[in-house]
Amino acid sequence: MAALCCEFGDLVQIKKQLITVISLCKERGLLHSGKWASELAFALDPLPKDELPPAAPFTEDDAQDLDALTLAKSYFDLKEYDRSAYFLKGCCSQKAYFLYMYSRYLSGEKKKDDETVDSLGPLEKGQVRNEALRELRVELSKKHNAGELDGFTLYLYGVVLRKLDLLKEAVEVFVEAIHALPLHWGAWLELSNLVTNIEMLKSLSLPDCWTKDFFMAHMYTELQMIKEALQKYQNLIEAGFSKSTYIISQIAVAYHNIRDIDQALALFNELRDQDPYRIDNMDTFSNLLYVKSMKPELSYLAHNLVEIDKYRVETCCVIGNYYSLRSQHEKAALYFQRALKLNPRCLGAWTLMGHEYMEMKNTSAAIQAYRHAIEVNKRDYRAWYGLGQTYEILKMPFYCLYYYRKAHQLRPNDSRMLVALGESYEKLSQQVEGKKCYWRAYSVGDVEKMALLKLAKLHEQLNESDDAAQCYMLYIQDIFYCGEQLEHLEVSTALRYLGQYYFKNKLYDEASLCAQRCCDYNDAREEGKALLRQISQVRDQIETPSADLFAPLSNNNTPVRRVSPLNLISFTP
Amino acid sequence: MASVHESLYFNPMMTNGVVHANVFGIKDWVTPYKISVLALLYEMTASKITLPERRRLNKLILPLQQGPDLTLGQFLQTVEECCPQTAYAVKLRLHEMANGELKDMEYFFSTLPTPFTAFDSEAYKTSVVGLFMRHMLLAYNKLSFSQVYKLYKSLQHYYHSHYAKPNDGQMGLPALVADDSDMDLTSTEDTVGDRIGRDEMDTPLHASELRNDNAPSRGPLSQKQAEYFLARQAYLLKNDENKALKPAALQEELNNMLKFNPDFAEAHYLNYLNSMRVQDIFLSAHSLLHYFDRLILAGNEGKSNGDEGYGRSLRYAALNLASLHCRFGHYQQADLALQEAIRIAQESNDHVCLQHCLSWLYTLEQMKGSDSTVLTEDSVKMAAHFCLPYLASLGIQSLFQQGATQGKTAHKLMDALKDTDILHWKHSLSELIEISLAQTTSIWRMYGKSTMALQQAQLLLNMSSLEPVNFGVQQNNTEAFTVALCHLAELHAEQGLYFAVSEILQHLKEQFPPHSLHAKLWMLCDLKIQFERHMNEGKYHLAEPLVAAISALNRTEGLYRKAQVLKALNRSTEAYSILQRLQLHCEKTKCTEMVIRVMLATAELHWESSGFSTALPLLLQALALARQHHLQSLASETILHLAFSQLMLGVPEQALNVLHEALEPVLAHGAVIDKGRALLLTARCQMAVAGFRPNRQGQADLNLAVLAVDTLKEAAAYFSRLSCKERLRDVHYLQSQLHRSLGQISQCNKSAMLFRLLDQELQSPAPPVSMRL
Repeated sequence: MAALCCEFGDLVQIKKQLITVISLCKERGLLHSGKWASELAFALDPLPKDELPPAAPFTEDDAQDLDALTLAKSYFDLKEYDRSAYFLKGCCSQKAYFLYMYSRYLSGEKKKDDETVDSLGPLEKGQVRNEALRELRVELSKKHNAGELDGFTLYLYGVVLRKLDLLKEAVEVFVEAIHALPLHWGAWLELSNLVTNIEMLKSLSLPDCWTKDFFMAHMYTELQMIKEALQKYQNLIEAGFSKSTYIISQIAVAYHNIRDIDQALALFNELRDQDPYRIDNMDTFSNLLYVKSMKPELSYLAHNLVEIDKYRVETCCVIGNYYSLRSQHEKAALYFQRALKLNPRCLGAWTLMGHEYMEMKNTSAAIQAYRHAIEVNKRDYRAWYGLGQTYEILKMPFYCLYYYRKAHQLRPNDSRMLVALGESYEKLSQQVEGKKCYWRAYSVGDVEKMALLKLAKLHEQLNESDDAAQCYMLYIQDIFYCGEQLEHLEVSTALRYLGQYYFKNKLYDEASLCAQRCCDYNDAREEGKALLRQISQVRDQIETPSADLFAPLSNNNTPVRRVSPLNLISFTP
Repeated sequence: MASVHESLYFNPMMTNGVVHANVFGIKDWVTPYKISVLALLYEMTASKITLPERRRLNKLILPLQQGPDLTLGQFLQTVEECCPQTAYAVKLRLHEMANGELKDMEYFFSTLPTPFTAFDSEAYKTSVVGLFMRHMLLAYNKLSFSQVYKLYKSLQHYYHSHYAKPNDGQMGLPALVADDSDMDLTSTEDTVGDRIGRDEMDTPLHASELRNDNAPSRGPLSQKQAEYFLARQAYLLKNDENKALKPAALQEELNNMLKFNPDFAEAHYLNYLNSMRVQDIFLSAHSLLHYFDRLILAGNEGKSNGDEGYGRSLRYAALNLASLHCRFGHYQQADLALQEAIRIAQESNDHVCLQHCLSWLYTLEQMKGSDSTVLTEDSVKMAAHFCLPYLASLGIQSLFQQGATQGKTAHKLMDALKDTDILHWKHSLSELIEISLAQTTSIWRMYGKSTMALQQAQLLLNMSSLEPVNFGVQQNNTEAFTVALCHLAELHAEQGLYFAVSEILQHLKEQFPPHSLHAKLWMLCDLKIQFERHMNEGKYHLAEPLVAAISALNRTEGLYRKAQVLKALNRSTEAYSILQRLQLHCEKTKCTEMVIRVMLATAELHWESSGFSTALPLLLQALALARQHHLQSLASETILHLAFSQLMLGVPEQALNVLHEALEPVLAHGAVIDKGRALLLTARCQMAVAGFRPNRQGQADLNLAVLAVDTLKEAAAYFSRLSCKERLRDVHYLQSQLHRSLGQISQCNKSAMLFRLLDQELQSPAPPVSMRL
């Protein structure tokens, strides 16, 4: 971290670098990288006039190609890629060469997209390929071997390799591209899509540049190592990027991933204040609003986004969420379908559509949607979880185990999968496994606070009253610790059981305490009163001081783990 | 007998034993191949063809229309075999189109005879040809401009790629091409140009990329082709695994297919079958679930709990999962999945599915080792009630198997078998006929009737399959075949025909490679044969390492063999403790055959400590058991043991009497070694009755002695066939004694010399002749 701080000391230098790279990207039509760099540059203080970086040196080649390049660039901007490539043929400057190759690549991609619409048969649909890729690869690999590629062309070469599914080679080339031009964010981003685990990340040799910190933070988010990611982003903010909307959005997404909803909401609201016409990441924002059931906010967001651009994937997802919250699931599904039409590889939409179909009880369509999501990304735990839920609805608990296990594998520390697994095991009367799952769910931090209760009930079924009481105890503590905002009906059940338990074990003080608390709840009031009466009866019968009676009992009978019930007092609402 | 339930799993691509991959609706698309067929049809209607040629072509039409897409070479070759003139005309027409312009194709379609106008031709609208033409015309007219252009491009590619690989086995074509020098020129030009382009491009490329170009099968598969591929591979996997693609290659093909079309659900099922071949639980479970997820989509318009629709596939999904776990030996998991399937099937009143579940249930119980007779009986009754002959007779076969091991009387079993056989033939359930034959083989062997067993095994192996013979494959890689072949190998080994045995085993190895499902059967058989051979030849050190291998495949068998080796190595105490354990275990699992064998081995151990009288009750018990279960070979073996004990106890007359009872079956059905042993024992009894004592020449009964000489000679012949030298040595010893007492000095000397030679060769000190059977 120390190295990081001193590197970031020179923000002016960074700003200069950013300005240079922005113009480089723009000249080459790399819009997204340009956008990223510009956003970042905007977050830094403006430079005085004399400190602005000089334009890139103009070589002889550049001068020669200037006219062709200008012409081609304008064709390129108008998406006439073939035309652009035609006029660039034979140019020898690096810039022209990149644009030449890049327009050929884009032309191939565009044709591929067009082809998919009118294919000659169902099987041929998936077989449409970008025909330009192979030629590009041959040419680029020749140049690559000769060492004639600069940072941008290396990046393009990497992209081509990735599209040809030559992932290993692609990683190597991307690393090379990053070394050649560390400021080009597109290359980092492409690399991040290829890194699958932390070991692989560690094994990469990356240049020591300030962009590396951005990359690492991004990578940590991708690999679900949220704590590390947040730490990294925090460092970046402290280093002077506090105004960057990019970082704020990334932090918000990270909070969303660890389900710290309030934090994430706050950040998104801040983001919208700063950048009201932003559409990126707004689908995540709407997910948060959905979880919190904030209807007016979600409706406002949806209206706002429609006004900005209604043909964006994010907009469609937000509207889908909006309809879903209003329980208009058919419309919601329709909007998710629209999102998928706009971008068939949009993972979130597939999963969300699956959820909608689930709500509509159209299980087969839900399965289809989830399967599609998995096809797009095998690591999408929500889709696996959704499949599990679907089969659970179809009353196939053993069948859904497989899917829940998959989901759990992908998110080992998510209590929801564990609880779902536990429930399935419970239905299969595999109590031992069920107990394990519930206990683990509690240990990793239970979000819905249901694991302990279920565990307690399992113990109750198995007549393990000590363990059951212990779990109810923990459960009540948990609930009261969170404050009264979580209104749980089951608290009364727990109290009732505890009362009876203490009564059976002749711990009358504790029992009466529980019984009194029972009386706070409507459904348990009668039982609480009855228990209180019983206690007073028993106490009348035994008029010996309780201390003599209970001292040996509590030493022998109570399990060691048990928490004293008096702890309750501190959580009294 | 091994379990025969391997084929009992639901294969959705299969009805009545025929594999169909084509379970989804076919949509017609115009492909270059279809254009060629259209051209052929056009030529047939337009030109004059001689009658025999026309007949041949007419026979060709249906397969060409309905079959998968062929390459141009294959297509032209087929046509040419029928009528070279038409083939040439078709080729010319294609050439015109491919080397011309788009308008030539358009023109071709417009000149096709419209089925609605041509009343008198074959292309009338209701004829097969007319229907096909109408389909094609409709499909063609529906294409958008860019699609038409694409079709034209692919037609050009189709045509030219035929010439790019002239050495692909189309020998008929060069001659054809030579007729037209103009065409020849263009085509070679194309070829050369194409090649140069390729070479230039491919040299710097990676190997993985290269493959894409070189394998012709890599090209885009049409729907029909994909279906055909899947159907063929599935069929081969079921019937003759060796002819199917290797697991890795098949996996790659499937991955390729799935990459292009992830919705092609049947590919997932084939993937599942393929992963089962290599015992990959993760992939197979994954593919199975994926397949059913996809299948559920395909049938989603149906009712959720009717006979059709996705409710049905849900039930079978759970059932298949159960079968998967069953195969991998995860009995608890299988049980849970099965219960789930049963519950869903019950909820939706699907009796057929319930029956399938029930038969899996008893199979599972059997595999777990518990008694499932009642369940099986129920299953048979219910299956008969619901008219499911397959499941019913499968259940009966299972009952038969249980009954055989538990000592049901032979005539009842045979009756049951006969009844089911009638059922099989009536419904032509060829699979079950095979199983039934294999079972008969097994049971005859168990009863010790080797000739009958041999006959049944041959019957099975020589029976031509009832399956419709597709792809030149006969169904011969089922478990039944393995079992029959193993029995055959063992029967040959018993007769000392080791060359034949090695041939059979070689065949088994080829037919059922070590990773395949039934390989364990022949592995065990192979090991047993080797073990027996080494034991007979007295090479105990070679037999010992085999024990570990046998135990890996079958624990009980392994323990028994271990005891045998230990006994032969004179480590009696260890052997005894193992035998005791084994006996307890086998009595618990009701494995009568093994119990009797263990008793015999224990009796032999008693002999070693000269406890001949203590061995008697054991032997009598074994005899009773063997008779009760009709195990003839074991019964005669026990009688041999009994006679030996009696001989040793000094009642040779009794022994000889008892022996006569066993001698007949042994000579008729027994193994060579048993024959030899029986005869040797007889000879010794005869000698004892005749009054021979080893060292004292008494007044022997010479008639009996002569008889004994003959018997010994016969025994020697049997032993030498197995090169069982230790026993030969004993025989020669006895022979020389006999000859001496008969005063035949030269023969006596000869026997003595043979004895001396063998004794030197064997080196081990000769155990007292008297001490073993």
